[in-house]
Amino acid sequence: MKKPAKVINVTERAESESSFAKDMLGPLVGMGLTINRMMDNLTGKVNATIRYPEERRAYSDRFRGAHILTAREDGSPRCVACYMCATACPADCIYIEPAEHPDPLIEKYPARFDIDMLRCVFCGFCVDACPEEAIIMSRETEICAFTREETMWDIKRLMSRPELPEFGLGYRPNEKLVDSTIKFTPKKKEKKKLAGRVTLKEDVEMIPHVTFDPTKD
Amino acid sequence: MPKFTLNGQEIDAKPGRTIIQAAQEHGIEIPHYCYHPDLPIDGNCRMCLVDVEKMPKLTPACTTMVNEGMVVRSDNERVKEAVRGVLEFLLINHPVDCPVCDQAGECRLQDYYMVYGLHTSEIPLEMKVRKRKVIDLGPMVVLDQERCVLCSRCIRFFDHVTQTGEMQFFGRGDHVAIGTFEDRPLENPYSGNVVDICPVGALTSRDFRFKCRVWFLHATDSVCGGCSTGCAVRIDHRDGTIFRVIPRRNPEVNESWLCDEGRLSFHELNKAPRIQRPLMKGRDGVQAPVTWEEAIRSIDSRLKETRAVSGGNSILGFASPLATNEALFLFKRYLGDQLGATQFEFRVDCEDKNLLEEEDQILRHFDKHPNSTGAINLGLMNTQLCGIEGAIEAARAGRIKAGVVIYFNPLVRRPRDEEVEGRIFELIDVLEYSVVLAAHKSEWQEGANVILPVTPWSEEDGTYTNFQGRVQFAGKAIEPGGDTLAVWEAFAMLLHANGAESPWMSAEDVFATMTESVAAYKGIKLDQTRLPGVIVG
Repeated sequence: MKKPAKVINVTERAESESSFAKDMLGPLVGMGLTINRMMDNLTGKVNATIRYPEERRAYSDRFRGAHILTAREDGSPRCVACYMCATACPADCIYIEPAEHPDPLIEKYPARFDIDMLRCVFCGFCVDACPEEAIIMSRETEICAFTREETMWDIKRLMSRPELPEFGLGYRPNEKLVDSTIKFTPKKKEKKKLAGRVTLKEDVEMIPHVTFDPTKD
Repeated sequence: MPKFTLNGQEIDAKPGRTIIQAAQEHGIEIPHYCYHPDLPIDGNCRMCLVDVEKMPKLTPACTTMVNEGMVVRSDNERVKEAVRGVLEFLLINHPVDCPVCDQAGECRLQDYYMVYGLHTSEIPLEMKVRKRKVIDLGPMVVLDQERCVLCSRCIRFFDHVTQTGEMQFFGRGDHVAIGTFEDRPLENPYSGNVVDICPVGALTSRDFRFKCRVWFLHATDSVCGGCSTGCAVRIDHRDGTIFRVIPRRNPEVNESWLCDEGRLSFHELNKAPRIQRPLMKGRDGVQAPVTWEEAIRSIDSRLKETRAVSGGNSILGFASPLATNEALFLFKRYLGDQLGATQFEFRVDCEDKNLLEEEDQILRHFDKHPNSTGAINLGLMNTQLCGIEGAIEAARAGRIKAGVVIYFNPLVRRPRDEEVEGRIFELIDVLEYSVVLAAHKSEWQEGANVILPVTPWSEEDGTYTNFQGRVQFAGKAIEPGGDTLAVWEAFAMLLHANGAESPWMSAEDVFATMTESVAAYKGIKLDQTRLPGVIVG
């Protein structure tokens, strides 16, 4: 048989848990935090801005920046020119020209693989579609050029990425496989304290843990 | 007419049909690999198992005849489980290299896996039996033994259709593979067909290999322009480029087959540069670009002048049997009915006897023009003039002054075509005034007074009449570039310039007018010209 539902009076509990100290000191503690932050800002301990070209914000590991074509162990592209990325691409910015590979176990490779970086919308669908983990994304955002032609990145440009140590790898669903094949040492960056971000220690409990057992009470 | 029940639906099957055929005729698909409507039945793939009431075991639908009162189910759990099991076995040693496989997108293994399979393979990739890949089998076919499901369609094709028997099974157990003896190349004029009938990616086309993924292609139903057989084909194209031509099934003409010449004939369209705009010879004797209006006005006035001076008999109409019926009809209407010309011809000479002669017993004909019968039906054959040779003689004798020549580069080229082009060059040279309608630039056009750029096969709608007298509709696959117009449009403009009514907006309108006024085509409708086509004459 089911137990009849119990009526719980919330007001009663709130009244019993409240105290003078909590009510009065709470706002003061908050004010203290605010003043502390203000002092930090005024004294230059934290900065609201960064000096952009020299310093960059650290993006997440899943950031979708400019593409990378990964390579096999011998340095040839992993890509087999299956057109999955070009099919999935909503911006229609990938152009592939397949060719016959002398190794029958590989069979097909891209003779041309161009991405029009101006058309690309950086949605990452190509990375999701790729069955060979041949295309992944980096965290690079600075795709600048003096002419439009330079923004058509060809297979050479997409495979050799001198900027990688600076920016690091971005979105790649199969991290283990990709990271074991890509060789570069990311540049160590000193961590800068940024404004507007409160770093919490790991063991700090943010929400007071309240257990609530409906069978009791 | 045996009546039987399939999945609770009563079906009136034609006598002598197997379950799979009767089901297909009523729009129910039973999965299959080895069954093919134009090949003998083998029953080896076991994909078409169905449950027949009162039979203890499941039975293959492709080998079981329909009997009166049979109760068949192809959709119950027993059948589905069996089919899933069969599919799992077929996929045991499949390499799953869909990314590099040209068949991906039209592969029966992919299709049936999504419907019946969806199982996880119990065999890891490393344990699969490896066979040979990328075996070069001649100019048309590439073989991959790993992907094969051993349905034997290709073997049966060479055994029973071409009767040359090049392919066979080799080995036994799970090491069975298809192949030719010592990898000898397939030098059969029909070898491209095995690529189409292969339900998986084991046999892929050498010509189409890696050119385009199939899901990017747009299909247009057409008729092969390679010879007078008129095989039903499908043109697969993308962004104005034809990537491949594959046969459609027309049991009355080509069954499911297409010869290699016809399959590769579309390459001929890109071999020579195209004429982009109308060219007209000015006073300085140089062919210079003009607008269509200028060209049409000039042609019309010059031809009328010729008629006024030396009569309608002095105008020659030299047609091409590669043009559509619609084009030839308006050509005849303008020159014959409007200008009173009587000299029409499309042949090379009177000895052109092999119009109906077969090149082999399967499909090909010696006449490499798709519409010779159409030209004859429209009255463009002149037994007195006797081909282009006779026309040149008549022109030399001064009986012919002006000529309108339609000439398309043949899609299947023979050494003789050079000779024909030389003859046309000679004819144009002799004529006082000549108009050429052509698609490709060529040396023989140098002497022409006016050159009009027109669309070749695959760039215009129209009907062709094959050697049987069967009228078949061929669709427009590619949008023509430049200032190119269809031949019928050019003659509709000429008719209009001459003051005649020109109420045609499309090739279909021209076809409707043609069926009213030409005796051979009386009363046929355009819908009848789609599969399998309609026989006239």
